Amino acid sequence: MKQLFCIGVLALFTGNAFSQSKVDYVEYDLPNGLHVILHQEKSTPIVAVSILYHVGSKNEKVGRTGFAHFFEHLLFEGSQNIERGEYDKLVEGNGGTLNANTSNDRTFYYEILPSNQLELGLWLESERLLHAKVEKIGIETQRSVVKEEKRQRVDNQPYASFITETFKRMFVDHPYNWVPIGSMEDLDAAQEEDYVNFYRTYYVPSNATLSIAGDLDIEQTKKWIDKYFASIPAGQAINLVRDYENLSDADFKSTYGADKSVLDGQDYVNPKSAEAKKLLNKYAAMPTSIVRPPNYTGKLTSVIADTVYDNIQLPGLFITYNFPNQTDPDFYALEMMNEILSGGSSSRLNKSIVEKKELAVNAFSFPYGLEAGGIGIFGAIASGEADLTVLLAAIDEEISRMQTELVSQEEFEKIRNKMENDLITMNSSVAGIAENLADNHVYYGSAARTNTMLAGYLKVSREDIMRVAKKYLTPDARLLLYYLPKGN
Amino acid sequence: MKKLIYITLAFFPFVSWGQIDRSLIPSAAEAPTINIKDSEVFKTKNGITVILSENHKIPKVSFQLSMGNDPIPEGPKAGIAGLMGEMVMSGTSNKSKDQLDNETDYIGARLSAGSSSMYLSVMTKYLDKGLGLMSDVLMNANFPESEFDRLVKQYESGLKSAKSDPGQMASNADAKVNYDATHPYSEVMTEESLKSIKLEDVKQLYKFLYVPEGSYLVIVGDITHADAEKVVDQYFGSWTGGKVYKGRPLSSKPANGKNVAFVAKPGAVQSVINVSLPMNIEPGDPDQIGLSVMYQVFGGNGFGTRLMQNLREDKAYTYGCYARPDIDEHGSLATISGNFRNAVSDSAITQIIYEIEKITTELGTEEELETTKAAMAGSFARSLENPQTIARFALNIEKYGLDKDYYKNYLKKLAAVDKNEVLRLAKKYMSAENMNIVVVGNEEVLPKLAKFDSDGKILKLDAYGNAVIEKKAADVSADQLIEKHVLAVTQTTSLKKAKKKLKKISSYERIVDFTSAQIPFPLKMIDVWIKPNMEGNKMEAQGMVFQSSYFNGVAGSSTNMQTGKKDMTAEEIKAKLKTVGIIPEMNYKLTGMQYDLQGIEVVDGKDMYVLHTNDGASDRFDYFDKTSFMKMRTVIVETEDGESSTSELTFMDYTSQGGLMNPGKINLAAGPMVLEGNVSSYKVNEKLTLEAFK
Repeated sequence: MKQLFCIGVLALFTGNAFSQSKVDYVEYDLPNGLHVILHQEKSTPIVAVSILYHVGSKNEKVGRTGFAHFFEHLLFEGSQNIERGEYDKLVEGNGGTLNANTSNDRTFYYEILPSNQLELGLWLESERLLHAKVEKIGIETQRSVVKEEKRQRVDNQPYASFITETFKRMFVDHPYNWVPIGSMEDLDAAQEEDYVNFYRTYYVPSNATLSIAGDLDIEQTKKWIDKYFASIPAGQAINLVRDYENLSDADFKSTYGADKSVLDGQDYVNPKSAEAKKLLNKYAAMPTSIVRPPNYTGKLTSVIADTVYDNIQLPGLFITYNFPNQTDPDFYALEMMNEILSGGSSSRLNKSIVEKKELAVNAFSFPYGLEAGGIGIFGAIASGEADLTVLLAAIDEEISRMQTELVSQEEFEKIRNKMENDLITMNSSVAGIAENLADNHVYYGSAARTNTMLAGYLKVSREDIMRVAKKYLTPDARLLLYYLPKGN
Repeated sequence: MKKLIYITLAFFPFVSWGQIDRSLIPSAAEAPTINIKDSEVFKTKNGITVILSENHKIPKVSFQLSMGNDPIPEGPKAGIAGLMGEMVMSGTSNKSKDQLDNETDYIGARLSAGSSSMYLSVMTKYLDKGLGLMSDVLMNANFPESEFDRLVKQYESGLKSAKSDPGQMASNADAKVNYDATHPYSEVMTEESLKSIKLEDVKQLYKFLYVPEGSYLVIVGDITHADAEKVVDQYFGSWTGGKVYKGRPLSSKPANGKNVAFVAKPGAVQSVINVSLPMNIEPGDPDQIGLSVMYQVFGGNGFGTRLMQNLREDKAYTYGCYARPDIDEHGSLATISGNFRNAVSDSAITQIIYEIEKITTELGTEEELETTKAAMAGSFARSLENPQTIARFALNIEKYGLDKDYYKNYLKKLAAVDKNEVLRLAKKYMSAENMNIVVVGNEEVLPKLAKFDSDGKILKLDAYGNAVIEKKAADVSADQLIEKHVLAVTQTTSLKKAKKKLKKISSYERIVDFTSAQIPFPLKMIDVWIKPNMEGNKMEAQGMVFQSSYFNGVAGSSTNMQTGKKDMTAEEIKAKLKTVGIIPEMNYKLTGMQYDLQGIEVVDGKDMYVLHTNDGASDRFDYFDKTSFMKMRTVIVETEDGESSTSELTFMDYTSQGGLMNPGKINLAAGPMVLEGNVSSYKVNEKLTLEAFK
């Protein structure tokens, strides 16, 4: 009875209005296809400059896994105008910080600078886009560094291989079969032509989104963007310029049928000579083409069970289902379902498996939404003596409850509050806002989604949550990965 | 037509960019001014210092409460504070844990607790609800038994999984090598210490540590000053408690030479390497900003530091290698850490030492220093984006008594640090000769590490940082060992001669003067023995007897200042008879003592025989040097009501006195207490009585 009363009290809070503070922004395309998003936020004198390249591990070939991420490391090596090792120094020495990350679908570079160094950030990113330069010594060094990164993050960490093992089994005959870190052998196999082709295909303005947020003046920023980015030619003309800078006179001539000297090496968009104009226009009109892997349509049709032996002490269990793409309308409901199951101390998996039944030291789940596919992973690390089959049965019990009982109104309100809180937190830093705007533009076709995400969650009904639980958490088609200590 | 052109122009407003010279690095615009808003500080009647940093950027408020306690020594219950902190969230006298979790999640809040802290982050619209939960937990946590049992089980699993987590293993080892055994930072929970923690201990500790006196409440976010005062009074005003805990002054342990500690992680493909340099510096020291510049040059954030340039960008030994000075009022140290593949683990240490050598002997370049200072100024500016930073500044000013304008003047002070200052600070706080090197990794890297240790002896630790005991089979029997020991003590060549020599000794008296970091005055211990089996012992300080005991061969008693006098029980008398005598080992056969030789153990790099005895009351482990056969160490394990306590005696500086070999120094360690003793007097065949010990 006391319990019931409390729930009634909780429900009183539902009268509160949900709110999402609006992120204002300006966006436009340059003639060369580069998409630009600007957000002004003056509370701290800093600015985040980012470029999202729409290339990730799913654009890699079999035998070259890990290449997109490796390439990301190489693009810090320098450019025609920036000596090896200077890129970092220019940012850090001017009070900024920089980094990048590579996912299955994208490569994201950013600098966070004092706001008076915005022009520097734009120059640096434009250099990386137009004519990055990588020397042999840089390649060899970064190859080893990336291998150390893999050892540190995956090979030497307990359970850390589960993502690799899961993707391998969930995505067959598709580049999601491997994960961004790739394999050591493939990193060793990379050849000169791989670097050249990758850069020429994916590092072009029409495949990039420049997203800037922070203490900036919109008009001044647009002027600088024109100076550094609009001066980068469109289409295949960018590769013509790269060849102009790298090829010998003879090789250039045999490729383009023109002498190098027709270009002045300065202005690639409005050159003075008519011959240069003609050549550049011809190549600018040739589009760069990117063949994107199709959506993954394969689905598990039965239960696959496998065991991985790892350097661990406690056994672990990972259960994976096919989910839709992240852009599927069902994804909002799946994320909310996930929060009910594993978000916070009061979540169902924590309460039942960790606290009541004491079968696991922790239990978690997350929807892994990707651009061309998706999976949902459930997992638990068993407590000392627990049996994995008992643990599996306990997780299944919670999943089946999700599919057969409507979520209570109170629990539903709780999740809606949680989503609101998460969205407020997401937009609390300028770097976070720049990334969020770029992601929404690239994956969802509109930066405007940044301001409509909360509405997306609020549209989900309790019935939707039960429906997606039934539709996607299929007991007869899923992957069961058992992790057991080596030597047992 | 005109209109159309206009639209096109608007669309591409700056079509004519003309030529640009890309080789020119853009110059900076005018530097922005950095404003640090003052935080507001006020005190409550019950002793809380409130620091408020208003910021209305997002509709959230956070409350960080930290109690003013010093770190508390946990002794045999190591890890209890962490367990207590976690259990605080297990329910209150008003709400079960389920209700508490549910109501917290319901409002999308975060509420957490530690052994001396609590944190709440909540959307402004649920401020009251969130604070209601926080203050309920703060004052009414009720520690249900079922939750205690559950958490203990979770911790058992957690301790198990720590054995496969290299980062955790390294930090446990760091705790042991950088602090004395009596320092709370050296305490690491083990399976045994977890077992000895009882629910009652946890409840008491909560009462002891959760007190308002000397606490700080930092409020950040979307709230006005007036509202802050109101809610503080409403939700924290009725909080009461005892005195805040203040312990003795603490510090890290200075490194003496280069010491390598190795923790084996089977199957490791990389070594986690932590090189620690303990320092003597307190928060707010005038050297602090310069020291942080020196460490940023050396191995701070980013890719441009000396460690990153050498170990990553030049040698590709690692994904990242960083150095971080940790300036703490209870003990400071700097740690250089990274993950390195097995084949280059030793080369990485060589390079780290090379870089320490270099920065402590050579001036850096002007360019490097300017770049570093610019990076630090930028990082300072970026950190201001987070409103928590401003509040942290105010907290530090309050807590460490810093100058009011310490952070406002930070950039000025940063700019003033020059090359000579960096070199001076490197020389003062770093040394290429003194450091603690912890390596967690595959056994295959071990042979290459001895060269880094000053005495070539690597300390091997387990996953919790405790010394790994390596035992070998003994090459003598227990009785042979005892015989050799008797000959060594008596400096004779046969048992017969030894007995003859001992026969002439009818009594002895030994006085040991003890000092301890934990006790402000010296202690004196007096031991006497009178033929054949009478004994007396007392401990006194400043003329006062704290405790004494006596035994006349048939009966005895012990007296303690606090608990009074107690006669020995029949069992105690039986046990006593087994250990009495100048060399009690000689009589083990006669007295019925249980004894067995457990093997040879390496202690402090020396082989020692370990003789285990049980007199019916306690287990003893006596360690005899394998070459001299002298007793070097005794470990006594007593078990009472299922709880065991360990005390340890170490014997050093043996010399011949009264015809027998006797130690010149005796150290005594019991729980967190360590006493260091000098034998000031040793007399034989004096006329003695036991009167003074009754």
